Parts: sequence; structure tokens; C-alpha cells
Amino acid sequence: MLKYIIKRILMLIPVLIGVSIIVFLIMRVFSPDPAPIVLGQHATQQTVEAWRQANGLNDPIYLQYFHYLKGALTGDLGTSYYTKTSVTKEIFTRFPATIELALVAIVLASLFGIIIGVISAVKKNSIFDNAGMLLALVGVSMPIFWLGILLIILFSGVLHWLPSNGRIDPLLQPIRVTGFYLVDSLVTGNMDSFKDALQHIILPASALAMYSMAIITRMTRSSMLDTLQQDYIRTARAKGIDESRVIVRHALRNGLIPIITVIGLQLGSLLGGAVLTETVFSWPGIGAYTVACILKSDFPVVQGVVLLVATIFVLMNLLVDVIYGFLDPRIKYSKKEV
Amino acid sequence: MRKVKRIMALALSATLILVSLTGCGGSKANPEGSTAPKASDTLIYAQGAEPRGLDPALVDDGESAKVMSNIYEGLLKYNQDSTKVEPSLAKSWEISPDGLSYTFHLQEGVKFHDGTDFNAEAVKFNIDRQLPPQVTEDMAYAPFVYGSVKNVEVVDAKTVKINLTSPSTPLLNNLAMIMAAPIISPKALKDNNNNVNQAPVGTGPYKFVKWEKDQNIVLDRNEEYWGTKAITKNVIFKFIKDNSARVVALNNGEADIIDGIDSTVVKQITDAGNKIFQAPGMNINYMAYNTSKKPFNDSKVRAAVSQAINVPELVKSLYQGYSEPATSILPTFMEGYDKSIAQVAYDPTAAAKTLKEAGLTSIHMITYTNPRPYNAATGQSLAEAIQGYLSKVGVTVTIDSFDWTTYKQKLKAGDYDLAFYGWIGDNGDPDNFLYLLSVDDPTMNIALYKNDQFNGLIAKGLTTPAGSDRNAIYTQLEKIAAADAAWLPISHAQTLCAYKPNVENFYFHMTGITPFAGVAKK
Repeated sequence: MLKYIIKRILMLIPVLIGVSIIVFLIMRVFSPDPAPIVLGQHATQQTVEAWRQANGLNDPIYLQYFHYLKGALTGDLGTSYYTKTSVTKEIFTRFPATIELALVAIVLASLFGIIIGVISAVKKNSIFDNAGMLLALVGVSMPIFWLGILLIILFSGVLHWLPSNGRIDPLLQPIRVTGFYLVDSLVTGNMDSFKDALQHIILPASALAMYSMAIITRMTRSSMLDTLQQDYIRTARAKGIDESRVIVRHALRNGLIPIITVIGLQLGSLLGGAVLTETVFSWPGIGAYTVACILKSDFPVVQGVVLLVATIFVLMNLLVDVIYGFLDPRIKYSKKEV
Repeated sequence: MRKVKRIMALALSATLILVSLTGCGGSKANPEGSTAPKASDTLIYAQGAEPRGLDPALVDDGESAKVMSNIYEGLLKYNQDSTKVEPSLAKSWEISPDGLSYTFHLQEGVKFHDGTDFNAEAVKFNIDRQLPPQVTEDMAYAPFVYGSVKNVEVVDAKTVKINLTSPSTPLLNNLAMIMAAPIISPKALKDNNNNVNQAPVGTGPYKFVKWEKDQNIVLDRNEEYWGTKAITKNVIFKFIKDNSARVVALNNGEADIIDGIDSTVVKQITDAGNKIFQAPGMNINYMAYNTSKKPFNDSKVRAAVSQAINVPELVKSLYQGYSEPATSILPTFMEGYDKSIAQVAYDPTAAAKTLKEAGLTSIHMITYTNPRPYNAATGQSLAEAIQGYLSKVGVTVTIDSFDWTTYKQKLKAGDYDLAFYGWIGDNGDPDNFLYLLSVDDPTMNIALYKNDQFNGLIAKGLTTPAGSDRNAIYTQLEKIAAADAAWLPISHAQTLCAYKPNVENFYFHMTGITPFAGVAKK
């Protein structure tokens, strides 16, 4: 097992080098020149040239990549063209917000997704099944920004129950320990902040969870339907085992493999930043920030974020594969099987 | 089975705790916690994007300007209702008869937020930083603001003298700008490697407290302020990107003032009992003729096309009453503007006749696809509206549209008959608008207009001391531009803000700044 994990981690290196080359080239080929954007309305031809020279953009492209790689290997992702702040710093001030939102959303999505999926499978073709599948259909097809706006208008605009934007009331900000406000406020014992942070995360997390929940529901349902047909389920029932135990212990546990895969992939993509949700709810995460930087041709930031997100994705896949082993003892990562 | 029950019980109780904690039973969104300051002491301003940074020498964007105008002060400042300059950190000044040196007498007893003294040395330090050899290529406004400055002399602690290479009357207006001109604590600049984007230290009525990236910037009243202290204790700038979410935030009481709204939400805001602030705009949205080649190298043909377009009607339908139809290049509040300035009047019959005589039947127009600060309706919609007017006088228009960056390259290439552009004023001086028609750079003077008399007057305007003689020069320039019809000025876009009825004395200055020192929340 350990060997397998080490091998997979080593495989990260070529993947990340590949990703970094692709992003590097895409930004330079398809993005407009950053110089006029950075220098603004008064930019002249000379100042643009001077700026490009100072930022190494006149070097041959392989040399530019080499400098970037050299920096990245030592943990230096460069400086944002637009704000003149270190990219690592820009990313890490925003990343906790993305992780916090993604985790809450994935917990909501998995909890409701699995419950609805199991009920739909067990009560196949019943009213519960139809309602569950309708909800899943709505979930995958409803544009998230529209759902977000509807939630804001209803819960903030009309009912005044929940705040419409941001992570927390600026005056209730907890002392930074981890960057996760829910954790920080609990650790520092600041219940006002905890309550406020929780109120702020409900709407964006619900909007974000909707799509993942729909996918998880459908996957759970089909996986469960498949498993419930198996002979050993019939055997278990024949042995007189309680039906709920048959469903949870015998069917769900075996049916979880594809569901875990889906949850892992969903979490991976949520950690890459939820651009629309972050924009609608002014959630200070990495997604909306990256899009803004793409539009400003802020190469160092975009390269840094993509590298980070690619790493997370690969690690998520690895984690999912490792969880398989625990869920299904038949899956072993011995040398021969890999 | 028992296990399942236990898990379910746990989940149920967790949900109950969550519900009770978050108060879904109908409690207020922002309850005043015991640790929170009083709401009336805190003013929340919601803007649509995050500032680029808070170092006036290193940024050029409007979002930064709003925050910086509360932290910093320059030697001079603008009058609340115009772009006339008034004393600020300099209490008085003299200009030498040759116009080559400006002596400023500084306010006494002024301290920066870090406790260091504001004095002539600090002024010199800030200007020197933006002059060769120290100036860096990313100081976007340094060449504009200090381009005419030769050096700075410290006469004594309270007197500073700025020497110029050539007379430049706009210098005084430049020194009131929020970009490049504010005076930063030299100590802060030294401590922060010549970049105070994240750690601003000025002399203004508010001190910087913290900046949570992509969320907010918190300012606190400067209790040691040398002038009249600010009324409200805390000012928070929130960044709410989505326009409708910003409106909900105002109506829901999560923000006291919002900006960047458009005409479609005005009713929704006023219905909720909130107020609208309509600020005049220091900008111009225009159409330009390519005067370098046929058919528009002839001013008669240019004037005939302008004559075919009903500008007031066009502006009303495109901008819903939130842009002022332009009769001149200069916004009406600026020095040099005169009521007598007028463009060629709308007369489609006369236009059709002249165009027929000139044999003009088709025009190639290029435009931009995105909204711009001076044209919220996009260049595309503006071009299509004009296409409509021209089809009525028998001229077929082909429109090529491009994204902003590509568009600027197309302008440089010069392959067009008609193009659209705009300008956002920098310093409130008339030269800042009219010089555009005198420069060679094709991305600034997109009409490629060349007129020696015009250029001569621009040069004269730069050296003539401020006053009625100088204003007359700009009025004359406007009249030449109107007679030559190189541009068709279309509109001056206004800025729309909304605020709660309990907010008093709020204003959004035409230069794009929002000073909060005098704003109260009842």
C-alpha cells in the first residue's frame, strides 16, 4: 500500500510539469498583452516596452518558462502583475475560503445525495423515487448563478433571515488561526463570530451543493439498484436479516465505490473554486479571483492557481483510490495488479 | 440497527443545533453582538470590485481611488462641486512670474498616521520617488502628474519649492489628484520596500486598519487629524461583485451606500425607501472620423454625417436618462466650458443633400463590444444606433466589432472611416481633454486630426496662468473642434450611487473619489 502511494505521488511530477507547460503556453498565446492593462489609459509605446522588458516578457519563451519553473520549484510563484503582491500570498489568503465552502457544500451534497439516492433505489418507481429524481434533474439543470440570486432574493431580500454576501460581518472577524472562520471562531471561543460565519455560509453552500447533490443522488440510486439485484442480497434477506441492515450494511457499503469516486471528483472540482457561486455571493475564494486575473492577463497568478488546483485534483484521485481499499477489501494495490 | 438509530439521532440533534444557532426562526441577519461596535458608528460602502492597491503611485483604478481618498491627502484638493483646486496640506502657494517654480507653504502640526511629521522633506521624498532616476515603469501616473517637474527643493521644514522644466498650468490640478499626488509617510515607504499597496499611511481623516482580500477594507477615524475630525468612526468598504446582490445588500441593511448601479434597478431601490445619488461624470463618449483619408478628410462631409444624427434622442434612448447629452468635448462643470459651444444641429434633410452631392453611400465603422465607463450601453449598441440614423439619409454602414484589446490594435492600424472611443478625465483641467486632438499617438487621437492652429493654442493654454484668459483659449479650441467636426461628442456618463435615507452629506465627486469625513449616519 505504502509503495503504491509513493509511486502515485512520484507520478505527480510529470503530470504537474505537463499542466504547467500547457497553462504557460495558453496564457502567452491566447491572452492579450498584459502591459497596456497594467499601465492603463496613459500607457505609451515606450512605457509598454519598458514594462515588458522589466517583467521578462521580451525573453524567448523557453527562457521565460525556465525562470518560472525555477521559481516554482523553490516555492516562489512570482508577483502579480496587477497588484504587485506575491502570488503565493494572494492564493493563500483566498484558499481557506474556497476549502471551507467546498467542504460544507460537499458534506451537504453527500448527506442529502446519499439519503435521497438510497430511498429512491429502495422505493423504486414510487412517489419518493420520482420526487427524488425530479429534484436531481432540477439540480443538474438549474444554472447556479440563477439559483444563487433566487436564494439571495428570498432569504435576504424578502425574509431577511440570512445575509446576502461575504463570509462574515467585518466587525466580527475572528482572530486568524487556520483561515477557516468556522474553526477559528470556535477555537477562539467567539460564538458571535461562529454564528455569523455559519449564517453567511448557508446560502452559498446550499447553492453550490445543489449540483453535486444531484449527481451524487443519481449515482447512488443506480449503484444501489445494481447492488440490490445481487445474489448475496437475496441470500442476506433469506437469512432473515433485518431489511434496513441489508440496505445499509450489505447493499450500501458495496454500492459506495462509485459514489465515493463521484464525491471525490466533485470535491476536487469544488476545491478548484466555484466561480459563479463565489461571484454571486461575493465569496472571497480562489475561483472568481482567478477568472478576474485571466481577464487581466495576470500570468503569474493564473499559472500559480492552475498548478495548485492540478495538484489538488491529482491528490483527490489518489485519496479516492486509497479509500477504495478500505471499503472493499478485495481491491488490493499489489505490484501485479497496478 | 442500533448503530443506525444512533447515527440518525446524532444527525437530527446536529441539525437542530444548527437551526437554533443560525436563528432560522426569523431573527435579524446581523444581530448586534455584544462585541460589535454600534451600527451608527459604522458606515458600510459596497463597491463592485476590489481595489488594485492603496499606493497612489502604483495604481490607476477607480476602486482604489475611493478608499485612498479617505486615507491620504495631497498638497491641494478639489472643491466639492467642481474641479477647482483648494488648499489642503499646502495652505497657500505662489507661482514665479516665469511660471517655472511653485512655492508651497505647508500646514503646520500635521502628522502621518504612524506618528511621523508631515513636512517639506516628506513632500520632496514623495515626488522624488516618481521622478527619474527613481521612477519605475509601473508608476502609471508619474509621467502624467510630474512630467513637467525638474526637481523639488526643501526651502525650510514648512516650505517646499517645485521647479519645472517648462511652464505647466495644469500642475496645480495634478497636485489635487488621488493618483500619484497624495503624500505618503516616507517611513512607511522605507519600511515597505517602496510599495505601500497593502500598508497605506497618509495624513487623512481615516486610518487604515485591515484589508481582508476579496472581502473588505476597514478604516478607523484618525483621532489626531489636523483638520475637522470625521463624524463616523468606522468606514468599511465591502466588495460585492454582482450588481443585483449589491442592491439586495443595500435594501437588506448590509450596506449603507452602494455604487455602480444602472438605470434598471433605480425603481427597486427607491421603492425600498432608499435614495439615489447622480454624480456628474468627468468623461466624454464620442464618435471620431478618420480625418487622414477620404471621404472624411473633408470637414463638410464630416459635418453632414454629424448633422444626420440626433444626439439628444440617441442618448436618451441608449442611457435611460443617466448620461448627459454632450454639446462639447469638455464636461459642463469644467473651466473653459462655455454655453455658446455647440455642435452642428440635427438636420437630416440638409445632411442627405450634402452627402448625396459628395457621393457618399457607404461607410466602414469599427467599434468595441464591451461596456466602458463612459458608455454603459457598449460600443456595439452605440454603433448600431448611429447606423440607423445614417440609413435614413441614404448611407449604408458596415460595422466591425472587436473586444477592447483587439479594438485598440485596429485603431492603431487606422483602417476605418468611423470609430468610437471615450476618455476619462484625470485632473479636471481642460487641457486633459482637448490635448487628445493634438497628439500623434493614434490610440489617443483616433481621428488622426492635425491642425497647426489648434496645436498652437494647446501649447499656449499650457503656459497661460489659470484665469479667464486661459479659459477663453479652451473655449476657442472647443469652437475649432466643433467647426471642424473631427469628433461627434455624444455623452458624459454619470455615476449612479444609492444610499440609505439615514445617511447624510454623502457625495461622489466627479473625479471618482468618495470622501467620508463629512458623512453622518443618523
